[in-house]
Amino acid sequence: MPIEHNLLLALLALPFLGSLLAASLPANARNAEAWLSGLVMLGGLVLLAGLFPSVSNGQVIRAPVSWVPSLGLNLTFRLDGFAWLFLLLVQGIGFLVVLYARYYLSPKDPVPKFFSFLLAFAGSMTGLLLSGNIIMLVVFWEMTSLFSFLLIGYWHQSAAARDGARMALVVTGAGGFCLLAAMLLIGHVVGSYNLDRVLASASMLRGSGLYVPILILFLLGAFTKSAQMPFHFWLPNAMAAPTPVSAYLHSATMVKAGVFLLVRFSPALGNTELWFWLVAGTGMATLVLGAVVALFRHDLKGLLAYSTISHLGLITALAGIGSPGAIVAAIFHIVNHAVFKASLFMAAGIIDHESGTRDMRRLSGLMRLMPITGTLAIVAAASMAGVPLLNGFISKEMFFAEAADWHNGSILDDALPYLATFASIFSVAYSLRFIHTVFFGPPPVDLPKTPHEPPLLMRRPVELLVILCLVIGILPAASLGPYLQAAVTSVLGRDTPDYSLEIWHGFNTPFVMSLIAMGAGVLLYVLTARWLPGSPEGPPLLHRIKLQKVFDRMMLLMSWKWPRQILLRIGTERLQPQLRLLVALALGAAIWVLADAGRLVPDLTEGSFDPAFTLVWIVGAACALGAAWQAKYHRFAALVLLGGAGLATCITFAWLSAPDLALTQLLVEIVTTVLLLLGLRWLPQRRTDIAADRLMAARVRRGRDLVLAAICGGGLALVSYTVMTTAPGPSIADWFLANAYSEGGGTNTVNVILVDFRAFDTYGEITVLAIVALTVFALLRRFRPASESTGLPEQQKLQDAADHRADGRQPGDTLDNYLLIPSVIMQWMFPAIILLSAYLFFRGHDLPGGGFSAGVTLAIAFLLQYLAANVRWIEDRLRILPTRWIGIGLLIATATGAGAFLFGAPFLTAHAQYLDLPLIGKVPAATALLFDLGVYAVVVGATVLMLIALAHQSLRHSRSRDKEDS
Amino acid sequence: MSHLDAIPLWAAILIALLLVAGSSLVLIGSIGLVRLGSFYERIHAPTLGTSWGAGGVVLASMLTFSILGGRPVLHELIIALFITITMPVTLMLLGRAALYRDRAEKATDEPPKRV
Repeated sequence: MPIEHNLLLALLALPFLGSLLAASLPANARNAEAWLSGLVMLGGLVLLAGLFPSVSNGQVIRAPVSWVPSLGLNLTFRLDGFAWLFLLLVQGIGFLVVLYARYYLSPKDPVPKFFSFLLAFAGSMTGLLLSGNIIMLVVFWEMTSLFSFLLIGYWHQSAAARDGARMALVVTGAGGFCLLAAMLLIGHVVGSYNLDRVLASASMLRGSGLYVPILILFLLGAFTKSAQMPFHFWLPNAMAAPTPVSAYLHSATMVKAGVFLLVRFSPALGNTELWFWLVAGTGMATLVLGAVVALFRHDLKGLLAYSTISHLGLITALAGIGSPGAIVAAIFHIVNHAVFKASLFMAAGIIDHESGTRDMRRLSGLMRLMPITGTLAIVAAASMAGVPLLNGFISKEMFFAEAADWHNGSILDDALPYLATFASIFSVAYSLRFIHTVFFGPPPVDLPKTPHEPPLLMRRPVELLVILCLVIGILPAASLGPYLQAAVTSVLGRDTPDYSLEIWHGFNTPFVMSLIAMGAGVLLYVLTARWLPGSPEGPPLLHRIKLQKVFDRMMLLMSWKWPRQILLRIGTERLQPQLRLLVALALGAAIWVLADAGRLVPDLTEGSFDPAFTLVWIVGAACALGAAWQAKYHRFAALVLLGGAGLATCITFAWLSAPDLALTQLLVEIVTTVLLLLGLRWLPQRRTDIAADRLMAARVRRGRDLVLAAICGGGLALVSYTVMTTAPGPSIADWFLANAYSEGGGTNTVNVILVDFRAFDTYGEITVLAIVALTVFALLRRFRPASESTGLPEQQKLQDAADHRADGRQPGDTLDNYLLIPSVIMQWMFPAIILLSAYLFFRGHDLPGGGFSAGVTLAIAFLLQYLAANVRWIEDRLRILPTRWIGIGLLIATATGAGAFLFGAPFLTAHAQYLDLPLIGKVPAATALLFDLGVYAVVVGATVLMLIALAHQSLRHSRSRDKEDS
Repeated sequence: MSHLDAIPLWAAILIALLLVAGSSLVLIGSIGLVRLGSFYERIHAPTLGTSWGAGGVVLASMLTFSILGGRPVLHELIIALFITITMPVTLMLLGRAALYRDRAEKATDEPPKRV
C-alpha cells in the first residue's frame, strides 16, 4: 500500500512544513497566516478522508521508514481507527480554531509565532497519534508539552502566562520523563519497542515482576498530561493562554493525549485489580473534585477548566473500569467532550473579547446584546450538563450504565453509581450557573467594553460545533456510528461488544440517575445562586488547600535550596582542588587500566641514539621545566620558555619527517604566544610576600601537588615512550598511505585524512572550534580585569610625561612613533603573508599545508596588523567580521558535505579530478578543497574573534578612563 | 654520497667554501652573544649570523640546487630578504627595551630623552 504510506507521511509532514512557513511570514500577515494554517488543517482533513476506507474495518496501515538501517533503527508510523478518529479531532477542531484565532488575536500580537507554534503542535500531536514505536511516541509526547508551554506563554509580557507556562511544562515534562522510563521498562520486558508487539504482549507484561513500576510510571505520565488528581493544578493556570489555545490544546486535544494513551494501552496493561483501583479511583476522584470546584469558580475560563478536569476524570474512570462497554463510552466521550467544550471555550473567548471581562460576577444579561452567541453557548452548556437530544447526554448515559454495572464487587465498584450521580449534580449546577449569570438577569453595568455580536466568521466555528452537538445528539448512529465503530474495533479487536447508539434506551437505571442529577442539580443551583458570587474561589474548606502553593514550595526546594546545599557540601569554586581532583582521577583510571599491563617497561635497547636530536630535546625539556618553574611570579619569562618548548616540538616533527605537523605546530605556536602575550597585559602582578604562603600547610600542599604532577607527567612520558617504541604492525595508517591518492586524489595523506577520509570528524571539530571561539568572546566581553591592571602601563606614563615636558610635543607622540619602523614592516608584510596563506591553502591537498595551517597563517597576518598599530587605526581601515567568517565557513563545509546528496552519495563524500585551466594548465581539483575552504574560514574567524576580544579590552578601558577623567 | 656526486669539483669547492664561511660567521656571532660584556654589545653579535652568515649558506644552497636541477633555483633569495628585513627590527626592539629599562631604573624621575 505505498500510496497510503505516502498519505500517512504527508499527514505528518504537512503541519511541520506549514509551521516553518508560518514562522517566516511578516509579523502583520494575519490573513496570510490564517489562510496558510487553515489550508494545512484542511489538507490534513482531506488526507484523513482518503485514508478512512483503509482503516474502517479495524485494519491498520503501517508505514516503516528506515532511519539508521545499520543500527536497526526504523521509524514506524501506523494508523488505525482510534488514531484516525483522534486525528479527525486534531485537524477538524484545529481548522476551526485557526479561523477563530484570526479574529481573536489583536493586530498588535505577533501572529507568525502563534500560528507557527499552533501548526507545530498539530504536527506533534499527529506524530504522537501515528507513532508505531513507543519511544517515538514519547518524543512526540514531549514535543506537545513543549509547544503547549510556548503557546501558554504566548503573551509573555504577563507574569501569569509565564508562571502558567512554566508550571505546565514542569508537570507535564516530569510526567513525560516517567512515561519514557515506563516505555523503556516495557521495551525491556517485551523485547521490542514496536507498538503492535507491545499491545500483543499483555500476558507477558502483566506477569512480569516489573508490572507495578511500569504501571505506576506509565500512569504518572498519563495523569500529568490529562490533569488528573493531584496533578490537575497546572490546567487552570494554563488558562492564561489565548482562548484559541485553551480551546484547542487544553480541552479538545492535548490533554486528551493522556486518556488516549490509557485507552490505547488498556488491553496491554489493564484488566488487573491494581489498574482498576488506580485508574478508576483517580478518575472518579478527579471527576467529583473537578465538578465541585467548577461550581465555585468566578472566572469563565476557570469554570470551564475545572469542568474539563472533571470530564477528563470521567474518561479516565471509564478507562479504569476497562470493560468493552466502558472503552466504547470513553472513546465516544472523548469526541463529544472535544466538540462541546471547544465551542464553550470559543464562546467564553467571544464574551471576553467583546465585553472585556471573564468575571461572572460582573457579567449578566448578555442575551439581549449578543443573542446568537448566547443561544449557541446555551446549547453547548446544555450538552455539557447532559441534557437529552445533545451529544453529551448519550455518552453520559453510557457512563452511568457502566458505573451502575457490576464489575468486581469492590467498595469502589459499589460506590461508582453514587459518585457518578453526585458529580453529575454539580455538573448540571455549574452549567446552569454559566448560562444564568452570563446571559440572563439585568443588563450589565460598568463593563470595560459594550458587548455586541462578534464578526460573522469568528462565530462560524462555534456554530459548526454546536450543530455537531445537535447532529450527534439526535442521530448518533447515522453521524458518528461508522467512525466510532472503526475506532472501537481497532482498540478492542475481537472483544468489540454490540452497543447501540440510540437516544432512548427505555426507562432504565442510567435514565433514573440522569433524572436525579438534573433535578438535584437545578435545586443545588437555585439554593446557592445568591450566595455563590460572594463566596471565595473554591468550595468551602477545600479552597484553603492550594496545590499550586505546594508546587511552588517544591520548585523552590528542588531548584534552589537543595541544589545550593548540595553545592555547598560537595562543590568548590577554587580551581586548585578541581584540577587536583581531575588529575588524581585520571591517574587512578590510568593505574586501574594499566595495573596488569606487562609491557610497560621501555625498551631502551632498540633505536639509535642521535646526539643532535637529544640536544634539541634537552633544551626543550629544560624550557618546559623552566616555564613551570617561572609560571607563578614571572609569567612573561614562562611564556618565552613555553615558546622554546614549542619550538623543540616543532623541530622534532620536522626531524621525524612530518613536515605538515611541523608547519602547523610552528604557526599555532606563533598565534598562541601572541594571544597569551596580549592576555598577560590584563593579569595583575602577583604579590610575592604572602605570609600564609610560607606556612607548613602551604608547603605540604605544594609538595603534594608536585608529587602528583611528577607521577602523572612521568607516567604519561612512560606510556608515550612505550607506545612509540612498539612496532605498530599493520595498522590503518598503511591503508591511508596506500589509498590517499587513489581514493582521495591527494598526495598529502594528512590533509586527505582531514578533509576526505575523516571529514566528518573535522566537520565536528570546526564546529567545536566555532563554539569555543564564541564562548571565549562571550566570556571576554564581560571580563573585568583587576583594578591594578586597568591603569596605563608604566612605560606609557613615562613617555607621556616626557612629551608633556618637551616643547612642541603632544602626549602620545612618543607612543605613536615608538614602533614606527616595525609597524611599517608589519604592514608591508600583510600582502606577503596573505599570499603565503593562499599558497599553503592551494597546495594543501598534495604538499604540507591545507585549510587549517593556511587559516592560522591568515590569522597571523591580522594579528600583526593589530600589533603594528592601535586598534582604532586598524579598524578604521580594515573591517574583519569574524562571526561572518565562522558562519560562512560552517555553511561552506555543510554545503559541500550536503552536495554529495545530489549525487546520491552519503554526507561529505568527496570527488577528485583534474581540471584544465587556461594559462595554468592541469590542476587537481577535489571537492575536498571546497570543504577545506570552510575549515579555512572557520579557523580564521575563530582566531581573529579571540584576538578582537582581547584587543577591545584596551579600547574599553581607555573609554572608561576617559569617562573618569572628564 | 649519492646525488651530490653530480656536482663538478670546482663547484663543490666553491660551495664548501661558502658553507664553511657562512657557518663560521654564525658560530662567531653566537660565541660573541655569550662572551661579550654588556647587553648593547651583545645585540651586535648575532648580526654577523644574519647578514653574511646567512648569506653564505643561502648562496651555497642556491648554487647546489641550481647545478643539481639544471636550472636557476632562486627562491632562497626570499629567505635572505625576509631575514634581512626582520632581524634588524627585532634587534632594534630589544635595544629600545633595554635602553628604556636602564634609563627608567637608574633615574626613575628622569624619563628617557628621545625614546
